[in-house]
Parts: sequence; C-alpha cells; structure tokens
Amino acid sequence: MRIVHYVNQFFAGVGGEEEANTGPELRCEVVGPGKRLQALLGDEHEIVATILCGDDYSAGHPEFAADLIAKAQDEGAELVIAGPAFTSGRYGLACARVVSAAAEAGLPTLAAMHADNPGVGEAEGVPVVASGETARTMRDSLDQFAEAVKKVAAGEELTEQDGRVTPVPRRNRVAERSAAQRAVALLLARLGDEEEETEIPLPDFDRVEPAAPVEDPGQALIALLTEGGLVPAGNPDRLESSRASKWVRYSLEGHDSVAAGDFESIDGGFSTQWADEDPNRMLPLDVARELEGDGRIGDLYEEYFVTTGNGTTVADSRRFGVEWGADLHQARVQAAILTAT
Amino acid sequence: MGDGTGNVHENGGALRRVVHEVRSLELGERTSYDDGRLTVSQEEATALLRDPALAEVRLACASPGDSVRIVNVLDAVQPCSKGPGGGGVFPGFVSRALPPGRGETHILRGAAVLAAGDLPRAQEAVIDMAPPEVGRSPLSETHNLVVEFDRADDADWEEVEAALRRGLLHLAVHLADAALEAEPDAVEELADPAVQSPDGLARVAVVTNIQTQGRFKDVFVYGRSLWGGLPTLLSPNELDDGAVVSGQYGHPALKNPTFMHQTHPVLAAVRECEDLHLAALVICPEPVDQNFKELVSAHAARLCAGVGIDAAILTKEGGGNADADVTIKMDRLEEHGIAAVGILPEMAGRDGTGPPLVVPPTKATAMVSTGNYDERITLPACERALGGGQVALVDRSATEELELPMAAIYCALSPLGWGNVTCHEEA
Repeated sequence: MRIVHYVNQFFAGVGGEEEANTGPELRCEVVGPGKRLQALLGDEHEIVATILCGDDYSAGHPEFAADLIAKAQDEGAELVIAGPAFTSGRYGLACARVVSAAAEAGLPTLAAMHADNPGVGEAEGVPVVASGETARTMRDSLDQFAEAVKKVAAGEELTEQDGRVTPVPRRNRVAERSAAQRAVALLLARLGDEEEETEIPLPDFDRVEPAAPVEDPGQALIALLTEGGLVPAGNPDRLESSRASKWVRYSLEGHDSVAAGDFESIDGGFSTQWADEDPNRMLPLDVARELEGDGRIGDLYEEYFVTTGNGTTVADSRRFGVEWGADLHQARVQAAILTAT
Repeated sequence: MGDGTGNVHENGGALRRVVHEVRSLELGERTSYDDGRLTVSQEEATALLRDPALAEVRLACASPGDSVRIVNVLDAVQPCSKGPGGGGVFPGFVSRALPPGRGETHILRGAAVLAAGDLPRAQEAVIDMAPPEVGRSPLSETHNLVVEFDRADDADWEEVEAALRRGLLHLAVHLADAALEAEPDAVEELADPAVQSPDGLARVAVVTNIQTQGRFKDVFVYGRSLWGGLPTLLSPNELDDGAVVSGQYGHPALKNPTFMHQTHPVLAAVRECEDLHLAALVICPEPVDQNFKELVSAHAARLCAGVGIDAAILTKEGGGNADADVTIKMDRLEEHGIAAVGILPEMAGRDGTGPPLVVPPTKATAMVSTGNYDERITLPACERALGGGQVALVDRSATEELELPMAAIYCALSPLGWGNVTCHEEA
C-alpha cells in the first residue's frame, strides 16, 4: 500500500519549539521515525511521502489536516498514518486531526500516541495504538505501530491486544435467540449467582455529588488546594511536571501570600509565566488571608496540597482525591478551594 | 410449544388464547376468515374508520416477502376479540374500561392492522416487507392491513391521531370477529399469575416502562394515560386483550406499538421457561424529571417486594433518558434482594465507539443489548411504497435504496425483546 506519514516539525527535523509555527507541507521523502517504520513494514508497503506541520500551527489551524490529506491524496495515498506522538499534547491532537480527516476522506488510517495523550479523545472513531511516554521508547513504540499498520492495511479491526487505546467499535450482530430469550437466560444465570454476565459493558462515567453548602463560612475551616504544580522554589520534593504519581503538602503558616521567588509552578501543561510572576494567581492565599482577617471565613487550614494535573491518569487522580478528602475530613476542614489549570 | 405449557389452572383468572393463524391476506367483498386466509371488505373496514377528522382512508395489503416498503408507520395492532364486537378487548377504547385478561380471546396470529402517514412529532418509521437480516421489523413478518389517510381540512392533528387509534382498534376487532367460529390452529392456556408459585419456582415480574410525555408521546392503560401516576400491577394476560394501547410515535426502532404489548416477547419467554414462574406485570410510567423517575423506581421495587417477587426483567420505551427508568429500577430492585436484568438498546454513535448507555446502573449490571440504534444499514430498492412517497430523513423517494440508521426501522431494536439483533465489540 502507498502510505503517507504525518509527523510534527520536531520529528521531521525542521526544529524544536522555535519552529512550532511551521505551516503544513508534504515532502516526497521518508523522514525521522518514518525511516525505521519503513524498514519494519518491509517491501509490501511503501511510505511514499511525509506530511508535516508545526505544533503551534496545527493547534491554531485545525484546517491544516484537510489540506494535508488533499496533498496526500494527490500523491496517491492509500493509507494515512500519524505519530507516534507519545504524551505530547499538541502533537497528539494534530495526529488525531490528521487521521480524522483521512477517515473523513474515506482512507484507512491510524495514529500512535500514549493512552493519556489528549489527542486520543479527539480521534473520533479512528483507531489509535499506544506508544510509550517519550521518544526514549521510540523503538518499542514503532514495533507495535508497524504491526498495527500492517493489520489496518489488511483491512483488519484493531483490538486491545494490538495496543488499541481508542474504543473498539461495537457492531450490530444477529444472535441465535431473541433479546427476550437471552434476558431469561441471563436472569437464570443471575439466580444461579453468576454476577458478572452482561451484554453491555458499563460505560465509564464519573458522578460527583456536590456537598451541601457551608452553613456559616465565618466559622468554617477552609483549605486551599491546587493541581497547578505550585511548589516552593526549587521543587524540593521533585513533584512531576506531568503524569504526576504523587501529591505533596506544604505549610502556609507565617505566610500572608505566596510570594514570587519563594514559590513556582512546575506544571508542564501550560505556560507558567504568569503563575511564577504572582503565585497567588494559582493559590489565592493573599485574598484568602484578607477574608480570614475580616472574619468572612473562619480559619485557613495550615497546609496546602498540590499535585500536577497534566496527563495525570484518572486512576491516580481519583486516588489523590480520596486521600485529600480523608485528610481534610480528619482535620475538620469544612470547605476547600481547588484551583485547576 | 405454546405459552403457559403445563400451567393450566382451573380458576377463573386464567386466559385461554384461541389462535387462528393468518397465512394470506387480501381485499374482497366480505370480511371473512377461512383456513388461514383473511379477506377484508374494503367497505366494512373503511366504515369503521369513518371520522370527521379524516377526509379519506385507503386500505392496502402488505405481506412478508412483498417488495413493499411501509413508511411513516404509526401504530400497529394484532386482531383480537372475545366475542362479537370485541367482548371486552381494548378496554377504555372499544369496550368498557374494566380489567380484561380472563376467559377466552381469539387472536389472528401473523396478522396486523397498521396506520401509516404523516403525523406531527411522529418520527419517520420504516418497515421493509423483504428486509435484510439486520433491519427486520416484527411487522416484516406479519400480513399487514395498512391504513393510509388524509386529514380533514379543519381537523386538529390530535383529533386525527385519536380517530386513527380508535379506528385501528375497531378494525382489529372486526377482523378477529370473522374467526370467532373458525376451528383454531392452537389453544393456549395462560395461567392466572395471582396464585402462589408451583414447586417453589422463582417468582418473576416483568417490569415494563411506558412513555408518558403527553400528546403523541403517550401510552394508555385501560384507555387512560399514566402521566403523573405510579406503577401498577396488571395480570400479564391483560395485554393479550389490549389493556395497553400505544399513542407514542417517537424513536421508531425503540417503540412499543400496541401489537408489541399484545405479543409481549418477554412475557412469552418467561412463560416458556420451566424454571421460572411468571408472577406479575408491573407497568410503570416514564416521567421526564429525575426525582419522579426515582420515586417511580423506588415504588416499583416496593410493589415487587410486596408480592414476593424473586427476580425481574425490565423493559423501556424511547431514547436516552428512558435508560434511567430501567437502570434506577434495576438498582432499587437489587436493594430489595430481587435479581434484575434490563433489556436496553444502545446509543453508541454511528461508529459504535460512544458510551452505549446514558445512565448505567450501579448495583445491578446484567443487561441484554438489542443493538446499536445509531448504526446504519442499507435497505434495497423496492417496487411499491405505502404511507408516503418520500423518506424525509434522507430526502429520498420511498422506493429507492436507502441508507438509514437502525433508529428508523420500526421496532427493529425492540426494547420488549422481540429481535435477535445484539451488539458487541469486534474481536
């Protein structure tokens, strides 16, 4: 099959962040990770061109994807692939847009990126296979990607075993018995203590019941929390800048505000320029102390909790939440302000 | 293999179903039934449909295998009668509003009367009489007497709908009356479920939710809307006699027309199962607000617990929010120690990767899928269309090859469990 491969400006060898505004272009050559991919794919498939775009440009110009797919079709593309994008958010998003545009144009397609890359959620119905977190895993990531490319080229559906991270489509099929008869069979199984059987897997929704309002804020103990990576200067506990596996706590005793220079954000998910200029923008200690002084809130809790909400897994986030809740509850904190980024 | 096999009771609460199979349908001089051949008098039939709201009605026949597509399908009804003029069927419409479900009922199995034509707020429903395997409707398998109509110029649509509903029910009685003296193909005894379970079999309730959203979205029990009401216990046998009549025209694939209530597949499947005792039918409204859904669910679970139910199968009607009416009840029933299984269509998006349910259960998770509503199918071109000339949904002539979502195929994903379609991940 004639394959066209999408990479960002970095993997195309154009340059780093300083070249992130590079516009979309097609090159009739194999570049960067495409070279190893071509070797893995063997003689049956040929990467006939590389399409590329800068990460900032693609993030700001969603139409870049359709432009590139049109160019790819001019080169006779029969299959469009993108990445691997690892955990890089803008790159992952660009890959998702490229494969969505390819699918829209009726071409078979797939992308590779880490399961937690925000691009996964944007690849509407298009298969995405997992890659590692960083380019250090390039070899393994390309091995898996190449196998998946071969399957898609053969018209096969990718599954979890192939490293697929986007949902596997559910398709209508004809069963031997009617739904009513199957319901009776399932009921008999339930009565026989078969608890797990079902034809419909539970979708993954979170449900958060809001707590009742604080009755008298003037008497309440209030905590400040953030997932914006705001830590004492120098990051003494090495909180991760992305995909946090932990959270940390720091004392606010003796602080009327979180002063520039004493605190900084190490979050890798956004520009920390303005947070570092005035850390109270991230953790509103200055105004909270004023409210405390005015008696409009009772007391501020003596510590703040912090983690990094950037590529952090739902499972870890849930764990942090449980731990925070338990801790604050024990300290008789009645309300908390959690700033998100 | 008749329903209720081995469950014959001599008490007065049982129903004897006298079955007359219909193997062909045609229009003719006089309405008659003879050895599987149903003939319908155009004159007698149209007289039953006469109403100031209808300028004209036309009758047509559509049988399984015919190259016919019926579009804009409204309600469908199985012909039934307990005696000349109905004798108690369709209470609140044809007969006095009293609970039926006892004695004898003659049914014309394999036949249906249905209305087809434009009605506001009715979503376009399609039946192919020669459909692909996925794309079948229960009404693809019956000999259908199709009523087409024109609205009288000054008539309200509400009057048109009421006239059609009444007309179809009277027509259904008229056809079954023709078979009252005929030798039956089968006699099926449906036990009175009010008795205690024999041999300690698990007592099963079928919990059937019906839509209650007002005009063109309402279902009637003994001729009354359950809007604003609470769940109620019926004898399952009452459905054979038309105690539940549909006036609901949304979500064609997920719709339960009168025909499907009369032939309720879950009731039939539970009756056929030797290890279960069909103990109750619980009919519940599907309210639109969350608090009321929770009240109805809690109340339905209490009703079941109160009559000693061990296990329940739950069904719904309509789209997304109606998932909650099933799943909340499943949870409430489990809290009472009643094993619950829900039958649910999926709304997983065109590509089947979306969440299949809007509101999943949390405690009881045994569910049967009737298929993905959003998946598309292709229906082949056909020779003749009834009910209209266009399918507006895709802006095509009704006889062309059509690519349609399953959502448009009448009862194709029946939440009452009729079909064999299911849904699963490609492995």
